[in-house]
Amino acid sequence: MQISSNVSGGKANLGLSGRFDFHSHREFRSAYEKLLETDGVREVEIDFGGVDYLDSSALGMLLLLREKAESTGKTVSLSGLKGTVKQVLDIANFGKLFAIKG
Amino acid sequence: MQDRPLKILIADDTPTNIKQMEVVVRRLGHEPVVATDGLQAIAVYEREAPDMVFMDINMPRLDGISAVRRIREIDAGSKWTPIVFVSALDGIEDIVKGIEAGGDDYIVKPASLSMLRARINGYSRLLRLQRELEIRREQSEEQAQLGAHVMDRLTDAEGLRDPIQQHFNIPAETFSGDLLCAARAPGDVFSVMLADATGHGLPAALTALPLTQAFYSMTAKGFPLSSIAEELNRKLKAILPPDRFVAATLASVDVRNQTVEVWNGGNPAALFVTQEGMVAMRWISRHPPLGILTDGQFSGATDTAVFNEPGELLLCSDGLIEAENHDGTWLNEEGVMRLLGQGTERRLRFDNLRRGVDGHLGGRPARDDISCMMVALPVERRRKHRVASPGIVEHKGEVQAWRMELSYGAGELRYIDVVPAVLGFLTQVNILRNHQGTLFLIVSELFSNALDYGLLGLDSSTKDWIGGFDIYMQQRAERLSALRSGRIDLAFEVHQQGRHAVLDICVSDTGPGFAYRGVLADSERDEGLQRPQWRGIPLVKSLCSELVYSGSGNKVRARYILSEIAAADGTEPLKEVVAAPWGNQGSGDGMILFEDPC
Repeated sequence: MQISSNVSGGKANLGLSGRFDFHSHREFRSAYEKLLETDGVREVEIDFGGVDYLDSSALGMLLLLREKAESTGKTVSLSGLKGTVKQVLDIANFGKLFAIKG
Repeated sequence: MQDRPLKILIADDTPTNIKQMEVVVRRLGHEPVVATDGLQAIAVYEREAPDMVFMDINMPRLDGISAVRRIREIDAGSKWTPIVFVSALDGIEDIVKGIEAGGDDYIVKPASLSMLRARINGYSRLLRLQRELEIRREQSEEQAQLGAHVMDRLTDAEGLRDPIQQHFNIPAETFSGDLLCAARAPGDVFSVMLADATGHGLPAALTALPLTQAFYSMTAKGFPLSSIAEELNRKLKAILPPDRFVAATLASVDVRNQTVEVWNGGNPAALFVTQEGMVAMRWISRHPPLGILTDGQFSGATDTAVFNEPGELLLCSDGLIEAENHDGTWLNEEGVMRLLGQGTERRLRFDNLRRGVDGHLGGRPARDDISCMMVALPVERRRKHRVASPGIVEHKGEVQAWRMELSYGAGELRYIDVVPAVLGFLTQVNILRNHQGTLFLIVSELFSNALDYGLLGLDSSTKDWIGGFDIYMQQRAERLSALRSGRIDLAFEVHQQGRHAVLDICVSDTGPGFAYRGVLADSERDEGLQRPQWRGIPLVKSLCSELVYSGSGNKVRARYILSEIAAADGTEPLKEVVAAPWGNQGSGDGMILFEDPC
């Protein structure tokens, strides 16, 4: 999986592409930890636009991010959902846990 | 790990070379074994199983390159032994040839002592790592096998052998992280759970394991699905790390009321499949999986549907939907339905599905655990109720009188599962223990009449409409959460009545009551029995010797015969009354009296 990140104002954006699964654990964590430590960041948006596969350990990583973010008063939102990625997140009802953006 | 001495094979046809290398090997604390040509090298290799090999290339009878090829063939796939060529040939093509034949390394003669020492020490480190890896692999294999054995025993249950259900489980690894549970609940209800923990193998199975005990004990006590789901979520939330969760589908098939109730959090849709091979109902996942939400955020809300045609409930994990064929195409829900086909022989259809999944996988291992369970919902007009026979228990002596009174106000009624709680008390009493199933039916009918019609004022005829059951359940939930006044009193008394030990069950509510004379007269007629709202009363009547309404219809007493008392001389053992279908209790069809009870 490839990860690009940029910060503008209080909002950080993590753009993901490729397979988001068990093997992405380390790089995903180091990417979001950096953002959560950045001063002034209040919202982290995960852009799934380029992701073509998502497994249950990826869902676990999102939950971990959510917990870390909430403990520091930040919010996490998901965007760019389509196809099987959207399907997986819908079945897990992650819309009840994260803000979903178009 | 402690370094142990290595056994090192030296194959060379020059005695001085052998001597020199033997000295180095010994000095480093290792043990040399020697061969002087290629054929001998192979023989010594097979006999001594050395940890490492130094191989000359130009030797009589068989050259080193051919000897190494043969050694690699012998070991193919089973183990790896480092082989270092030591040769005077120093052309690039010689070195390449040696490596391609299976050599790991190449030293050009004359080999310096320091060069030999460095190679031996290097491969010694590598071999140590390899040994550690091997031990880890063996340990993990052993753990997996033990885990599979224990998990098999822990998750085995009678319900999984019940002919009302069929299931299969195809693990991705040694054993599955998917968990199947099935049990008969009080009443004519069969409850199942299909849980799929994050990941697969041992960690996943461990994650799902805490669910089994809670599911079985709460199901046996007759707790509603929503309460079971809440408890399972609470349990997992408390013990799992934040990135672990368990997708689960809980379902209850109520044969008597012809309903299927489902809670689905994170699993593929549960399906109701007719014999014509049509999907009559889909229960999609409406909740996040178990173990994520806090108690306050969690919802145990279920969806219930009524069925008038025979069919089956199908539950599966995402492993079934996402099972890939040779070109990576998912099986999907359509594929499952296609494999299942149609027909009244449900065993045949299930076997078709099971075999079809194997065919779809085409011999490749599943990428994720695959599990599937089907529960039959038979439809029989004017279904007779089945009550498990309590069996004969021999005991003698006086009937020990026992009495319990409970009173629930609106505050408690809003959140307590009264019937399972009461059954918990009743089944502690020895003389009542064997009557659990029947008592559950009587108490739950009388209690739900008091609550639904007495306090909540629900109109049972709503259930007659198409889709009415859902409306009824929704109204019930709304009115229950808005309930601010009212009370239900329950009294239970075991005492001796003539030649019988009996249990009197009194239920009264503070509601307006109902025109019980009309209802009861109606219920005597066949058409009355067809209507869901009257089904309850004849059922209770059939199980009891007396059913007595009084007041404005807001009080009822049911008398249930527990056993016959032994003759005065004590020689005849106490005979238990065996509950049987419709009208078993002494007085033929049961009696309905109008008088003051309790």
